[in-house]
Amino acid sequence: MMARMAAPIRIDGYAPIRDYAAIGDGRTVALVARDGSIDWLCLPDLDSPSVFGALLDRDEGGRFALEPTVPHDAARRYLPQTNVLETTFETAEGAVRVTDALTLPSGRLGPFRELARRVEGLRGRVPMRWSVEPRFAYGAQRPAFSTRAGVPVAASGSDALAVLSWDAGEAEVVGASVGSDFVAEAGQRSLLALSAARQEPLVFPARADVETRLDGTARTWRDWASARGYVGPWRDAVIRSALVLKLLVFAPSGAIAAAPTTSLPEDVGGSRNWDYRFSWPRDAAFTLHALLSLGCDGEARAFFSWLLHASQLTHPRLQVLYRLDGRIDAAEKELPLAGYRGSAPVRIGNGAAEQLQLDVYGEVLSAAALFASFAGGLDGDQARRVAEIADLVCDLWRRPDAGIWEVRSEPMHFTQSKMMCAVALDHAVALADSNLLPRANADRWREESARIRVWIDRNGFAEHKGNYTRASGETELDASLLLAVLAGYDRADAPRLVATVDAVREELGRGPLVHRYLDEDGLPGEEGAFVACTFWLVEALARQRRTDEAVALMDEAVGLANDVGLYAEEIDPASGDFLGNFPQGLSHLALINAATALAEAAP
Amino acid sequence: MIWGVIVGGVVGTVVLTTALRAASELRLTRMDIPFLLGTAFSQDRVRAKVIGYGLHFMFGVLFALVYYAVFSAVDRSGVLLGALLGLVHGLFAGTALVNILLPAVHPRMGTGFDAAGDAPQLEPPGFMLVNYGRRTPLATVVAHIAYGAIVGGFAAWAG
Repeated sequence: MMARMAAPIRIDGYAPIRDYAAIGDGRTVALVARDGSIDWLCLPDLDSPSVFGALLDRDEGGRFALEPTVPHDAARRYLPQTNVLETTFETAEGAVRVTDALTLPSGRLGPFRELARRVEGLRGRVPMRWSVEPRFAYGAQRPAFSTRAGVPVAASGSDALAVLSWDAGEAEVVGASVGSDFVAEAGQRSLLALSAARQEPLVFPARADVETRLDGTARTWRDWASARGYVGPWRDAVIRSALVLKLLVFAPSGAIAAAPTTSLPEDVGGSRNWDYRFSWPRDAAFTLHALLSLGCDGEARAFFSWLLHASQLTHPRLQVLYRLDGRIDAAEKELPLAGYRGSAPVRIGNGAAEQLQLDVYGEVLSAAALFASFAGGLDGDQARRVAEIADLVCDLWRRPDAGIWEVRSEPMHFTQSKMMCAVALDHAVALADSNLLPRANADRWREESARIRVWIDRNGFAEHKGNYTRASGETELDASLLLAVLAGYDRADAPRLVATVDAVREELGRGPLVHRYLDEDGLPGEEGAFVACTFWLVEALARQRRTDEAVALMDEAVGLANDVGLYAEEIDPASGDFLGNFPQGLSHLALINAATALAEAAP
Repeated sequence: MIWGVIVGGVVGTVVLTTALRAASELRLTRMDIPFLLGTAFSQDRVRAKVIGYGLHFMFGVLFALVYYAVFSAVDRSGVLLGALLGLVHGLFAGTALVNILLPAVHPRMGTGFDAAGDAPQLEPPGFMLVNYGRRTPLATVVAHIAYGAIVGGFAAWAG
């Protein structure tokens, strides 16, 4: 369904995060603004330097603009069950439709990466303008265009970009940009394509091939989406979330990126700007659960094997995040970009990689248990490694850590981190009892799990309120405690967990939204409400059989998505603005798992 | 000597391929000889690379036989003479072989006179292959000098 028409807006040259939609090809992702400008594209991969980075610097970042030159309204949608975006511009002179996709390979020789933009005149005569302003290396390099076989080409080092156009005016190179004006007449079709290459000569596709690939791309997405298993009242939202998740799957390795962007701010104008183009083992259990419940068996297998492969170098320690190709280096550095609406610094790399975060172990062992149940067991090497991780948890759990939210203040004894250590050991014990893990250390795992629970009861529980607390010696709450229900720390309807869910909703909730915490985290500024927490709350309520509350909240939460069904990491409860990296995998994972839990809880 | 030249051709091609690949990783060039050769026979990227590597090694040995002819004609061989032939070979590759002859016979390579048409085209290499990066001529010539030196060295060693 097409969302309502509205004039695209920019604030200081930046589109609201809510006004972006994502297209991708399983290797990289582009963000398209409602006004038709592609303001973010990293090539050739999602974690490569950007070629279009106007999202983070309107002047130096680079973009691919395409819009009417007269005042217009815009509405957009994804072609049903696809990651192909369709934007319709309405003007006084007529209407025009733009279809955008990063195309998927076909049988014919095609570009290394290809972005296709089809322009169709629907009514009248609409004057259009397009402009490609590539800026390689996060805006550091303004390439000079040259011409090969009549095609404008921009090159930098081993990267190159060709700009092809058909019936879209005479492409004119001006400085480091190429573009043209043309008129989209009713019934007429124009086509623009970018062909990108790295470390190889460019391929200049024929028009018919681009058209065929564009149509084939929509068909491939549709086939994939229609095979997804969820049936229920939120099918549209679940399928859209599955499609977002699929965009974030880095096909060459099976890793899943947390988001395709870096440094979209959690606080506009502030410094809470992080690079999310990595894969977090923490999300392993959420991811596997979502993939398996949607019938994505191949993706689930690929992700679990990537997880074990990536963590091999650090085994048995788990790094907080890994690169999409499995490498462990993620050194954080700042780029000389202005930042989204002045939100500096812009960072690449992620310093959280070096932190100790104990909850990761619980999530990964939950994922191992899920995978074992799906695959009918673990192979010998997998079992040995899982057992060694459990041994490490026994050694580590007493240490303070940075917690699930990766706080940059001093390490603390976070209750949820300890809970996930207990969950890790419980899973190890259960797997050993089923003869799926070596049993040699099972008694130790059992004993340490019991010790952790005693510690939590003494240090992470507020007797007077009856709920668990954020950290040792604190009375503050933390929305991550909802995960105790989801991860099975105790029976979902245990009184302490019911009280904790209620307390989180009451103290951290803002309408349907939920803040992560209200306490200090070692960073200046404030942040919005964390979208995933809302869906965790839905799932917790569903698991506690409080179905009416869960359904009502789910309905509200689904309504918080943008016009094409996407979520950022956070939402400002006051303005409804999206904050943080976009689209955020965890938000969509949490939506899928909440919907699945509700389906399971349905009478 | 001929077997030495053939072995030298294989080893030299390994070194040449590795050197160009390394230059590519160092962002010096987008030159990819197996890709260029293989796409003449297949539109499938993976198959093209496999075919391309096979052809590249075959040409590596064939060129070594040309070197053999020169060594026989002048009745001497060695690393220095091989390197000199490699320099000529590299310059020939950049100016005529890949720049003019390959586009002429490659069914999918564009020339400076083409516009994008009905079939996908490969980016033409340009004089001294400079379209694939400004440092491509340097990388190509150095890699060919290494190839020639190895062929010459093996030829001298095999007597």
